Amino acid sequence: MALPIRAASFKPYNLAVTTRSLPSGVPIAPGISLYAKGYGDHGHGHGHGGASRSDAAPSWASGMRLGGSKFESKTVMNAPASRGVHTSSKAPLPSPSPYAVPDWSHYKTENTSTNRAISYFMVGTMGVLGASAAKSTITDFLATMAASADVLALAKVEVSMSSIPLAKNVIIKWRGKPVFIRHRTEDEIKEARSVDIKTLRDPQTDEDRVKRPEWLVMLGVCTHLGCVPIGESGDYGGWFCPCHGSHYDISGRARKGPAPLNLEIPPYDFDDPDDKIVVG
Amino acid sequence: MCSPFALFALLPVQITDTLYNAFFRRNSVFVSTVFVGAFAFSLGFDTAINRVWDNWNKGKQWKDIRAKYVAPAGGADE
Repeated sequence: MALPIRAASFKPYNLAVTTRSLPSGVPIAPGISLYAKGYGDHGHGHGHGGASRSDAAPSWASGMRLGGSKFESKTVMNAPASRGVHTSSKAPLPSPSPYAVPDWSHYKTENTSTNRAISYFMVGTMGVLGASAAKSTITDFLATMAASADVLALAKVEVSMSSIPLAKNVIIKWRGKPVFIRHRTEDEIKEARSVDIKTLRDPQTDEDRVKRPEWLVMLGVCTHLGCVPIGESGDYGGWFCPCHGSHYDISGRARKGPAPLNLEIPPYDFDDPDDKIVVG
Repeated sequence: MCSPFALFALLPVQITDTLYNAFFRRNSVFVSTVFVGAFAFSLGFDTAINRVWDNWNKGKQWKDIRAKYVAPAGGADE
């Protein structure tokens, strides 16, 4: 290429004078390439890639060529202009400044009430989920401090009710202490209930001491010094402590001797479907 | 418009305003609603998850197969 001629370049070029005149006066300009490449065109127009320039005037309208030693330029005056050119004196509208704040009013909602409700709803939902998660976390953490299932299982003792005949005592071990269970007869219940509690050292009705009148469940530890009383003995037909001679009646109440309090009642429950008394 | 907020957008302004005034306006009401909602949510969530679990493990848990091993009623112990 002799000269870099590019349509996209707006740089002015000063072409060196390469023409000279023939003796006849006709100018001759050898060595000028009149071929302007289109965008993406690589110089040999055989159709692939590189669209022909849309702003180039069609060849039938205008063109130039080197014919022999002659440089010809042709322009048809009525050819449609392929490039829009403002010819009026009115300047086109200036393009907006890149620093101007765009007009966002198109995006502005006309329904602020709904948006406000949505915002608070989202905040509230987040709060609900967070509070719920926090609550389960704390609950689970506290649950790790609770007694485990095997410990809880050891803390309870089950006794089959059908294995205890009427008017019999059973002593079972519960948390290292003896527990008395007596299947009381009607007469014994009547006797226990006929006592005037005002005369007792530790006034307590029989109704307060049993959940079911036929089943008396108490801790077998003498309230005096902690011996284990003997069943079906003593002056009151109940229990008698051999250590210091305390007498308990058929409801386990202290009646005579040094014992200050009635025999203690442990927590217990009846499991009717399985016919069991569960102590603990 | 498949966003869940489309539901909100459908609500007339009166309802969203009522919602706002009823629950969101006073912080005390808002916070109490959140706590009550958390309580109800965890209850419902636990129930639902337990149901899914039981359904998934149907026939494998003790409560499902207890009848096969424990003689019903009678109570002839062990």
